[in-house]
Amino acid sequence: MQAPAARPLEGVTATINAAAVERLAAGEPDWLAERRWRAWEAYERTPLPTTRLEEWRYTDLSRKLDLDALSPAARGPRGISPEAWPPELHQAMREDWDAAGHIVEIDGRVVHADLTSEARAQGVVLASLREAVHAHPDLLREHLAARAIPPDQGKFSALNAALWTDGTVLFVPRNVTLPLPVRITRWVSDPATAYFTRTLVIGEDWSTVSVVEEILSPNFDEQAFFLSATEVLAGDNSTTHYASVQRMGLGAFHMALYRSLVGRDARTDSLHVTLGASTARLDLNSELAAPGAHSHILGLYFGNEDQHFDHCTSQNHAAPHATSDLLYKGALDDASGSVFRGIIRVSPGAQRTDAYQTNRNLLLSEEASAHALPNLEIEADDVRCSHGATVGQLEEEALFYLQSRGLSRRRAERLVVRGFLQDVLQRRPPGSVTEKVTRAIEEKLRAH
Amino acid sequence: MSDAPILKTADLRAKVTDEEIEILKGVDLEIRPGEIHAIMGPNGSGKSTLAKVLAGHPGYEVTGGSAFFDGQDLLELETDERARSGVFMAFQYPVAIPGVSIANFLRTALQARLEDGDELDLFDFQDILLERMELLEMSPSFAERAVNDGFSGGEKKRNEILQMAVLEPALAIMDETDSGLDIDALKVVARGVNTLQKERPEMAVLLITHYQRLLNYIQPDFVHVIVDGRIVRSGGPEVALSLEEGGYREYRQLQSTVSAA
Repeated sequence: MQAPAARPLEGVTATINAAAVERLAAGEPDWLAERRWRAWEAYERTPLPTTRLEEWRYTDLSRKLDLDALSPAARGPRGISPEAWPPELHQAMREDWDAAGHIVEIDGRVVHADLTSEARAQGVVLASLREAVHAHPDLLREHLAARAIPPDQGKFSALNAALWTDGTVLFVPRNVTLPLPVRITRWVSDPATAYFTRTLVIGEDWSTVSVVEEILSPNFDEQAFFLSATEVLAGDNSTTHYASVQRMGLGAFHMALYRSLVGRDARTDSLHVTLGASTARLDLNSELAAPGAHSHILGLYFGNEDQHFDHCTSQNHAAPHATSDLLYKGALDDASGSVFRGIIRVSPGAQRTDAYQTNRNLLLSEEASAHALPNLEIEADDVRCSHGATVGQLEEEALFYLQSRGLSRRRAERLVVRGFLQDVLQRRPPGSVTEKVTRAIEEKLRAH
Repeated sequence: MSDAPILKTADLRAKVTDEEIEILKGVDLEIRPGEIHAIMGPNGSGKSTLAKVLAGHPGYEVTGGSAFFDGQDLLELETDERARSGVFMAFQYPVAIPGVSIANFLRTALQARLEDGDELDLFDFQDILLERMELLEMSPSFAERAVNDGFSGGEKKRNEILQMAVLEPALAIMDETDSGLDIDALKVVARGVNTLQKERPEMAVLLITHYQRLLNYIQPDFVHVIVDGRIVRSGGPEVALSLEEGGYREYRQLQSTVSAA
């Protein structure tokens, strides 16, 4: 009998290894330690994605991500008082409108959590994952890295499930409405470091929940890698509003895994804003799990310098009579590049599916590039699905029109780009993140 | 009315950028403040080219002659500089700017007229905009719509008139503003121009049109007929009336006689 050829364990390094899992699992309940080890095994046996895989064709990890140069973040300091928080984080939080609660996470560790007393009285739970392991074990045991993003979904879902240091759990009980968003604000600061955190959002039947995740960082001389996994479990007849704003500095690699499981007659909407980091990768999957489910997905990105953004989206229709609508728009300046790869999947039983997918790109310089790859995979016969994608440049006639009203060429270009991106934000109610994102776009426009 | 022309072109010649053939073959035109001039001509005569050249469209290249606006060499100025010094062109085909409201657009355009560092007062702007819209009998909600995005032909032209009202040009060039309009929309345009000129009698207007019918609603002081890149006849409103009867045929014949001579 021939022994199987030994394959080097890809992505296992001097510091990203079993010993790191061991350190995290020590002192944790058995079920969680076991879950980490199972995830670690999946990580070990899964090869690193290469450009031979369709989903990674335009993002070459062998060039973009140097795992050997990274060390996993230590569990971070336990308590950092708000006075010691970086000014950028204070600024980001000041810009926020009202909130039902806040989580502040610094260098992979939650340092602050607050929730209104009304929400607490209604049974809402907002806590760091590390705290919740002891305070709400049943909640985590049932949902964390289990239903939406189990470790066997790929190399990075396994890595996160094995090595997460902290994160957030938000639980909204049946019939409870959180009128204001819970804001999760993250800051990471150490170069040559890999951060792994998670967010778990559970909205029970007939609940309404709103979450905003934001991440900021300085620029890095040596790469920092941030890998997050966000699981949204939307119960029957629930409503979920989700927004994420990524404003990391250059030198960062931001990878986000996002998955929502949408229940019967539930509505989820999400906005994914990508502005920062040198490399950003988003794997977004919305699963229309029961009849009548609805998912509305918006994406917005604005790249400049040599930023590279890769968005991989999937609208999975597993049940009949569900609807999904995705719109992704991005502007690319300088030598930046973007990839949009989206798929609508309709399972054999998912009759009466209504699904749309649109990606529009605006190139602002000769060197900028955009790949738009929309796709359909339909196995039911009574569906309405459509997809479309465009890559275009600023229209000379539009610029002339604006110039003929007294705007300089630069101002005219900025106004067109602003309008192009604002179009996405205008599809959401004001508040939440629209003002903040508008300001961030303005900052980038000033550099154009 | 002042005697100094607001616009004076002499032997103005132009062609499409990257092409050889001249479209304007020497246009002489003098417009004084407060005057309404109509330029009429058949398709391909160069009348729309004249409008675009005066506004500074990058698709056209001036090959000779001169154009002075308010004493400045117009041809030395960029499109936006021309606009800021008081030239306005209402487009034949106004362009959609998705995601940018008319109010935002006009605010940006007024802001661009201020010195660096000066900020347009937002309340003042709101007042100006509302007052202008009232003058033109427009609903305030119109200004919240994205510029020309999904507009009907008539709405696009109303938008041009509104911009003209807010930007208060010294010279308004209407580039075939009447083309493709039904009679109601045509009246809206005409009423707008007339209202604004009544309010600011010093505003000069250059109407570029193929048809006589616009001139039933806006009374020109002078009418010029342009054929094959040259003005072949100038006169009062009666010139337009004679065109209505005889069309452009006699001018074409005239032109071929001139060319043959």
